[in-house]
Amino acid sequence: MTLFERVFGGNDYNYARTVAAIDEAIATYGEAEAVSFPGTAYSLPCYYAVTGVKITNLGEMKAAMATIKEKMTRNNRLYDAFESGIASALCAEFLEALKYLHGAEPYTEPEMGHLTDAFVRNLGVPLVTGDIPGVAVIIGGAEDPAETVELVKSYQNQGILVSLTGDCIKHVHDAGMKTGENVRVVPLGYEMQSVIHVVSVALRAALIFGNITPGDFKALSKYTMDRIRAFVNAYKPLSDEIVSYGAGAICLGFPVISNETENMFRVPKSLIQQLDTSKWNATSLEARDIKLKITKIDIPVSFATAFEGEIIRRGDMQVEVDGSRVDCFELVRTVEPSEIEDHRITVVGPEIEEIPVGSKISLSYTVYVAGKAMQPDFESVMERKFHSWLNCIEGVMHTGQRDMIRIRISKADFEAGFKFRHLGEVLYAKLKSDFEAVVDKCEVKIVVDAEMNKDLRAQCNEVFNKRDDRLKSMTDESVPVYYTCILCQAFSPSHVCIVTPERLGLCGAVSWLDAKATNELDPEGPCQIVPKERCIDEKLGRFEDVDEAVCKYSHGALEHVTLYSLFQDPMTSCGCFECICGVEPCSMGVVITCREHAGMTPLGMSFSEMASMTGGGVQTPGFMGHGKQFISSKKFIAAEGGPGRIVWMPKELKDQVRERLDATALELYGVENFTDMVADETVCTEDPEQLLEFLGNVGHPVLSMEPFDM
Amino acid sequence: MKDWATLTTVEEMEAVTNSLLENGKKVGADTWQQRVKNQTPHCGFGEAGTCCRICSMGPCRITPKSPRGICGCDVHGIVARNYLRFTVGGTAAHSDHGREIMHTLHQTSPDGNYQIKDPEKLIRIAKEWGVETEGKDIYDLAHEMAEVGLMEYGIPFGTQKFAKRPPQHTQDLWDAAGITPRAIDREVATAMHMTHMGCSSLAEALIRQSLRAGLSDGWGGSMMGTEFSDVMFGTPKPVDTTANIGVMEKDMVNIIIHGHDPSLSEMVVHYAQDPEMIALAKSFGAKGINVAGVCCTSNEVAMRHGIPMAGNFLNQENVVLTGACEAIVVDIQCIFPALGPLSKCFHTKFITTSPIARMPDSEFIQFDVESAGEKAKAIVKMAIENYQNRNWDLVNIPAQKQNARVGYSVEAIKKVLDTVANSQVDEFGTTKPLIECIHSGVLRGAAAFVGCNNPKVRQDAAHIGLMKKLLENDVIIIVSGCSAQAAAKAGLMDPEKAKEYCGAGLKRVCELANIPPVLHMGSCVDISRMMVLASDIAKDWGINISQIPLVGCAPEWMSEKAVSIGNYVVATGIETFLGVDPYSKGSSEVTELLQGEHGINDWVEAKFVVDTDIDSLGDKMLECIEAKRAALGI
Repeated sequence: MTLFERVFGGNDYNYARTVAAIDEAIATYGEAEAVSFPGTAYSLPCYYAVTGVKITNLGEMKAAMATIKEKMTRNNRLYDAFESGIASALCAEFLEALKYLHGAEPYTEPEMGHLTDAFVRNLGVPLVTGDIPGVAVIIGGAEDPAETVELVKSYQNQGILVSLTGDCIKHVHDAGMKTGENVRVVPLGYEMQSVIHVVSVALRAALIFGNITPGDFKALSKYTMDRIRAFVNAYKPLSDEIVSYGAGAICLGFPVISNETENMFRVPKSLIQQLDTSKWNATSLEARDIKLKITKIDIPVSFATAFEGEIIRRGDMQVEVDGSRVDCFELVRTVEPSEIEDHRITVVGPEIEEIPVGSKISLSYTVYVAGKAMQPDFESVMERKFHSWLNCIEGVMHTGQRDMIRIRISKADFEAGFKFRHLGEVLYAKLKSDFEAVVDKCEVKIVVDAEMNKDLRAQCNEVFNKRDDRLKSMTDESVPVYYTCILCQAFSPSHVCIVTPERLGLCGAVSWLDAKATNELDPEGPCQIVPKERCIDEKLGRFEDVDEAVCKYSHGALEHVTLYSLFQDPMTSCGCFECICGVEPCSMGVVITCREHAGMTPLGMSFSEMASMTGGGVQTPGFMGHGKQFISSKKFIAAEGGPGRIVWMPKELKDQVRERLDATALELYGVENFTDMVADETVCTEDPEQLLEFLGNVGHPVLSMEPFDM
Repeated sequence: MKDWATLTTVEEMEAVTNSLLENGKKVGADTWQQRVKNQTPHCGFGEAGTCCRICSMGPCRITPKSPRGICGCDVHGIVARNYLRFTVGGTAAHSDHGREIMHTLHQTSPDGNYQIKDPEKLIRIAKEWGVETEGKDIYDLAHEMAEVGLMEYGIPFGTQKFAKRPPQHTQDLWDAAGITPRAIDREVATAMHMTHMGCSSLAEALIRQSLRAGLSDGWGGSMMGTEFSDVMFGTPKPVDTTANIGVMEKDMVNIIIHGHDPSLSEMVVHYAQDPEMIALAKSFGAKGINVAGVCCTSNEVAMRHGIPMAGNFLNQENVVLTGACEAIVVDIQCIFPALGPLSKCFHTKFITTSPIARMPDSEFIQFDVESAGEKAKAIVKMAIENYQNRNWDLVNIPAQKQNARVGYSVEAIKKVLDTVANSQVDEFGTTKPLIECIHSGVLRGAAAFVGCNNPKVRQDAAHIGLMKKLLENDVIIIVSGCSAQAAAKAGLMDPEKAKEYCGAGLKRVCELANIPPVLHMGSCVDISRMMVLASDIAKDWGINISQIPLVGCAPEWMSEKAVSIGNYVVATGIETFLGVDPYSKGSSEVTELLQGEHGINDWVEAKFVVDTDIDSLGDKMLECIEAKRAALGI
């Protein structure tokens, strides 16, 4: 049997059973029964991405089978095999969608089934920065379950997102491995067709970040091939069904690595036979051209971005550094090279083994940095990275910043020989590698002594105060230049962020100082200087220099961008924004919602739906993606009146921005406790009438503002 | 239907040619387009191969009423004799080119005009030939190898050294058929002797000698020409260039190099880049010196230096018709004597350089190894000084040109294939990734396009038309000679755009390997590279060459060399498709031998397929590829 015959056979099998399943569902529920996946604005995302058509009910799904059938041509050409592979994948999506009929919740732990739009958007930044260097799609399982677990761990240790389909879920589960989004191991389902849920993530990434027009399959497959570093590891035996999915995967640019030899063929960089499954990791990375950012750190446990979201529960904790109760802090200081010794790590006070299990302790770490290109402004930039670096240590959890930190070290780590000194090793290694251009020498001093820390904390607060004063004085007007950020272009090729002190990157991850540091570190890199000499309109934040920069760095896709307007050439986004705001026409205000909020807004749209209005470098007047911090900026839609226009936010978001937003509103409008005047889901969800009533009751400042000049 | 919009079409090329012919009319130029009209219709006896003028009893022409010549030779003997003579004309030409290269190799020196640029390749061939390399100075080795190579032309006993390169099965077939090539000159002499009055009239014996002579070219003279050109001038690797008449520059001194032997063109290219010469050009008001090629010389220097390709065989008059050609410098083969009179209509200097190709109305500057540099410099200088004689009213350089990536020697192809191999699984330096693509069906097969232009076929239409058809059907294409330039002019070697015209399989291969779908392997002697590639594929795959889903094609061939090539390609086991009949249709027996199931096909497992309907020829090529796949069960 030829390879193509196997693909065609698998496709025929899938088609036949999908037709039968749809007929059965219609017999039960009728053609009008709604069809959807939870938490997505993209209908049945694969079918929508491939054809541009949204399916809303069973009747439409049945009709769509004719479109799928058209793809099932049977010439002996790769084109036909590719089309049949895609047809087979679309059938799989339909079969999976049928499981969710009538509000069913078909998947239970550990199986996750369909993954939401929020899941996709959360992947944006780490995929762009290479923190998630790739996506492994594992299908089936090894004969020896330990081998499967070994493979999954190998990818996890590299930060690669792993999706599991079939027996591998059981193998991983039985071994007691944690799974879920936070540890980047995502079990989809035991049935082979559930693999479609990870394909759905890839295709939505193309729509969200790549601004691919649904139905433009050529652009879609080019995007996935060029930008989504996914690959498939399929354990033998491979059924025709799996072979047909494989054709679909290869069509999208994802190579398949398997140990199957029966009736199997080889295609360079696409279908690779690797009988030694212990080499699947290396074979796959080479096949998909995945380069790992290698940081070799001398610690007794793993260090990988996959562990960033790991949670250490109280019962699993050896010790806790608790800044809420005792004096703790983290600090970077710039010093002269002569003052320090490179790679010296000192621990003043007891080491971990001398401390009783379960203790809450006082601990501080000060990192001294020297370098010709080092500037004190970079200190806070470096400090902000500590959170993510320390979290990458397997079995260590870090939250907070400055003198409000909490660190938990697990019992497992203690057993493995992890010491306080190793925190210093991680900070040293990461500073030297990530800030290589400015850090020539680095020394870490860890103090585990409550008395000493009390004094040290007081000194360190003086430093923080000075920094805060400087930051406060740093406004869009006071700095000489802005920066571009095109980090996301790996993913969203026509988007450019303009980063200013009062408007950080919309992902929330790049402040003006970050951008400045990035520029110093790599002058040819993603953050380029944008002069601000030729202002056209101060209120809108329109500069000739900015227009030139966005035009140049979006490769002509964008011509004009304003810094402060929601309507006049608003700034674009890649799709990985923390928040999105949209115009609420009844109140002439704006609604903001954030990624964490799954519910509806008074616009009658969820975050996913609002987010799908923009992203991918597209300008949609009236909708704009942004970072959380921007909400309390005086420059937030300043052209339309500023943050006083905000009429609705999720409660959780309100609490996060309250303090600063209140301060800004007081300064701008003389209004106390402005955040309380902003409605949330407890006041109204979808009804604008309720919203208006609430705004009237609290005397929201928007009511006295001019209508928008739309 | 695919959108072929970014290709330059045959119609567009013809429009450009027509505008140049208008230029020619202004000065009363004679061109091939006119001469074809004058010569049509062609002699029917000549076309059928049924006229014999080997002795002075004739000429004898065979008709149904007079079925035998005066000596009694029948039509089959006459056609076969003519076919063999046609073949060895090509064998002699190609092999003499190879011989010249060996003489140049013999005179290489570290401070002379010619050096060894690929010593590794020289050592590799020396080891293959059993020549001791240890402790030898590379130039001593080169001179020794030149002598060994030159002996291949006249060695009294044994067979060609390179004839040991193909798989054992091929060698066994040759031995069984009695066609393993002996000394090259001997095969030519034997052919001339066999066809002498009163010798062979048995068609089968004459065709057998045709194959043997062809093999002495492909696996002898041509192969030496290719291999040792690489040793002296560098083994080609991928390089970007441009193609078509628009490569000529209005504000520069244009020197066109035309012919086949890279010994001349390499020197001209070298001196055109000489700062002293560039300064001289500027002093005459030109912005610089632009060297561009025509015909196989163009292929040679494009492959090694990225020198732009102005056109193929039937474009040779066009370059002069631009009125912007300061000099057209030629060496050997495929040079129209018409260039002499034509150049007189313009300011163009027509410079001949080889005693092999002497022509009226040319300036003859004899090229030899010792004085090559000096002569090349003199030629460049002559061109520069001629810039001032341009008649600007006649200058017409059409803007037509395309990007092309060229330079795919066998070595380069393997390097490309290494880029898609996986170090955890695969061996490097093999053709296996290509085999896997074919075995899995991602590629249906491969086609080797070679050969010339011929006014009997609309210029380039057959090359480009067939290539398009095969590309759409996931057949990867290797090309050489004027076929290569047809592809380049059309845009089929554009590494960015051309893949868009391919089927999904070939497109994916191009994307992953970062290659154009049409791979330029060189000039017509470089068809020997294709033979080596086919051999390596067969060995790596573990099958016979004739089993590979691979076809050869010369849709617009015209020269004796092409017939010699056809013989060795077929004799190597590759089914060969021709768009022009090789003067053999007058004999049913010869036609059966060359094209039938039980002629040469029984000896070498391949035959010729002749069809002047190009579309039908393409269908037959695809059918042949699919039949070979079916036989392999893939």
